[in-house]
Amino acid sequence: MMRTVFLAFFSVGLVLSTSGCTDFVELNQLAFIIGTAIDYAENGQIEVSQQIVIPSKKEDPSKREGSSSFFVMSAKGKDVFQATQKIQLRMSRKLMANHRMIIAISEEYFKKDDVRKLFDKLIRDPANNLRDTIVMIKGGSAKEFLMLNHPIEPLSTIAVGKELQINGMRSFSSRQFVIETLTKGARPFMPVLQIENVKLSKEHDSPVAELHGFAVLDHHLKVKGILGLPEAPGAIWMSGKGSSQGATIPWNNNKDVVSFRLTRLQRQMTSANGHDPKHMVLTVKAQAYLLENTSQQDMSEVENMMELQKCLNKQIQKELQSTIEKVQQWGPDVFGIGEYLHHNYPYWWKSQRDDWDDKFKRIEVTVKTDIILRSIGVSGAPVK
Amino acid sequence: MNTISTSIEVNEASLRKEFDHCSDIVFRSFRLRDQTLLLLVYFDGMTRLQSVEDNILKPLLFSGLPQGIDRIQSLGEMFGREWLPLTDIKKDKSLEDLVHHILQGSLGILVEGEASALSVQVQGYKTRSIEEPKKESTLRGSKEGFVEDIHTNVSLIRRRIIHPHLKTDSFTIGTYTQTEVILAYMQGLADEKVLAEVRKKLEKIEIDGIIDSAYIEEWLEESSFSIFPQIQNTERPDIVTASLLEGKIALLTNGTPFALILPVTFWSGLQSADDYFERFIFVILIRFIRFLMTFISFSLPALYVSLSTFHPEMIPRTLTISIATAREQSPFPTVIEMLLMMIIFDGLQEAGVHIPNQLGPVMSIIGALIIGQAAVEAGIISTPIIIVISLTGIAAYMIPRYSAALPFRIIRYLLLFTSGLLGFVGFAFGMIFMLIHLVSLESFGTPYLSPIAPFDGTRIKDLIIRYPFWMKNGRNKKGRQQ
Repeated sequence: MMRTVFLAFFSVGLVLSTSGCTDFVELNQLAFIIGTAIDYAENGQIEVSQQIVIPSKKEDPSKREGSSSFFVMSAKGKDVFQATQKIQLRMSRKLMANHRMIIAISEEYFKKDDVRKLFDKLIRDPANNLRDTIVMIKGGSAKEFLMLNHPIEPLSTIAVGKELQINGMRSFSSRQFVIETLTKGARPFMPVLQIENVKLSKEHDSPVAELHGFAVLDHHLKVKGILGLPEAPGAIWMSGKGSSQGATIPWNNNKDVVSFRLTRLQRQMTSANGHDPKHMVLTVKAQAYLLENTSQQDMSEVENMMELQKCLNKQIQKELQSTIEKVQQWGPDVFGIGEYLHHNYPYWWKSQRDDWDDKFKRIEVTVKTDIILRSIGVSGAPVK
Repeated sequence: MNTISTSIEVNEASLRKEFDHCSDIVFRSFRLRDQTLLLLVYFDGMTRLQSVEDNILKPLLFSGLPQGIDRIQSLGEMFGREWLPLTDIKKDKSLEDLVHHILQGSLGILVEGEASALSVQVQGYKTRSIEEPKKESTLRGSKEGFVEDIHTNVSLIRRRIIHPHLKTDSFTIGTYTQTEVILAYMQGLADEKVLAEVRKKLEKIEIDGIIDSAYIEEWLEESSFSIFPQIQNTERPDIVTASLLEGKIALLTNGTPFALILPVTFWSGLQSADDYFERFIFVILIRFIRFLMTFISFSLPALYVSLSTFHPEMIPRTLTISIATAREQSPFPTVIEMLLMMIIFDGLQEAGVHIPNQLGPVMSIIGALIIGQAAVEAGIISTPIIIVISLTGIAAYMIPRYSAALPFRIIRYLLLFTSGLLGFVGFAFGMIFMLIHLVSLESFGTPYLSPIAPFDGTRIKDLIIRYPFWMKNGRNKKGRQQ
């Protein structure tokens, strides 16, 4: 009995190993794609560029002088797979996209081609981990963005990914993008990068990709407008994605300014009077920490504190209200208000969902703020 | 050769024949004042000569027959009453018994005209003194360890359990070694069925000699082909005592400081004596770490191989690239590299046990410098492999009992093999195979994985979380009520 069991195991092992019946791939047989760029090409083709990290150069700073720790390969094809296959034919290692951090799509592609063509590849291929971020490159081509160097990070794509995370904008993964694209009552909101020349040292200035704003996409994944940086954080807050941000408001009849860090960002939606879907109330909540105060006022006085909190709420309310109105003019509902209405007024929603981009414009949205001033900082009165 | 003759010459002749070519046998014959001939037979070095001289030779030679309450007329009468100032005296009717007792270190006394002999227990050979156990040292708790002498060992337990219910049955095993084996248990606490089974098995043992308790262990085990030990060994009297009170059975073997404890479970190999001596909150933490390390000790090489060669997408991005960077130069596949290092590590470990103390430093230099550093610098072995192997090695030593860690060292190879072939599928396959085996394994009627499988809520209080003693109401309380 024992003999037969042993023999059976031994022979299975032997057969599997001698016939080479394993499909392991060593790490040094793989090419790790960290970034992918999609650019417009003529004749209905697309140009796909892959940013591939060179492992032996990554950790060694002495070797980074002159030669970079990555290279970019690009090819044109009718779809993403065909183009990638062309790149693979020129590569000595197997391409692996599971560790990708950024998918960059150029603004030109958004304008001249249909992004929905790419969408299928994103959700069909199991190699997509859906943890990467899809960004739009304004101005230049996306391929150019991949080729950029970064002063600290070894790769420009890693830099962008970290930039978004560190600034409290974590919910822009491609998984989130897929969810927003597939739900009828919400529209995707996509980071927009712009390549700009920055003077980093005395000798030379180098191109660096900077966050420019957020693109508002409609149902057909066409760009309807781009919210610039002063407005974008508010929109992120209202769509329930941000975790923290800063705010600077005028104070003392516009003579001075005060700055806050806002944490625990939350938002709530209710319909006005509890039954009117056409009139929505969006309440945003946050805790504020006073970090800078250019006026000479003593903030440890309770009256001043109350005044400050009131002023902060009022100012933020004003800014957010104008942001909502701006987005409403464009149409796409990046805040997911449609989803709320879908859940709470399902019958009413049925008549609205088919042309939501258009109908959203006619919904009246009022912003209410509920910001609590948590702290006025270490010093109370200004130093005399 | 059977009964003892009345003639001392006949007896001496047959004893001399029996102990032919035994250079250490001593025959000493002398006449008392009443002309009675006496013969003392003993092995040199096995008896306390001082005691023989003071209690037998001196009084008989100088004072004549000892006089008690009644007057003693002859040596024969003294013999009949076993009137010697010594505690343990046996009267042997047959020559075989006498020979056996002399071999054990007793002093044989034969008297002219008597058809029996006295064997007086004056065993006195050099034994090692009680020392701190080296293999299972603890920070707190008793520093006494068992020694080779079984009677000292029994006394070490007897001193800890002052209760008549502590029973010690003696067995003699081994055709030539005639090794004494003592079965110790608490009457009323130990399972009678297990006791009967152990007794039956002990009587069945047919072997030339018992050199160590390991010999008995192999005879007793039911699943001999299992890689998991079904009997625990220890050289700590306090562990034996605690086990006896839990209703377990201990076997002490003469000539070895290692006592056997049965039945055991999988978990008892992962418990240390210190677990019961330190504050229980700390013990909970240490046990969690120990369980984690135990898992690491057999799975980490296999997990590393399957993650890095089959599922690199599951490793965090930065770590993947770091490993890939370290692997750039490696000439072998990861599995082969891992296997090589595992063999080298196990080789080093085994060499460390056998190397003479003076040469110890040489080996650590060879191990650390040549194999560790040079192999990595030459690009033959990648650094992560070294880290994995060292971590695995350390983890295996987190298991408090050496013999309990051995099965994991075997499983390490098996899992590496299956994961190297099939990745996580192979790993899962190996783990399931191991679990099936563990679940079906039994140690003297106790399921090996109990109290987890089958689940027993009352006994689980000493598994991962050690409850304080006043909260445990397991075996101990039941015993106290009896």
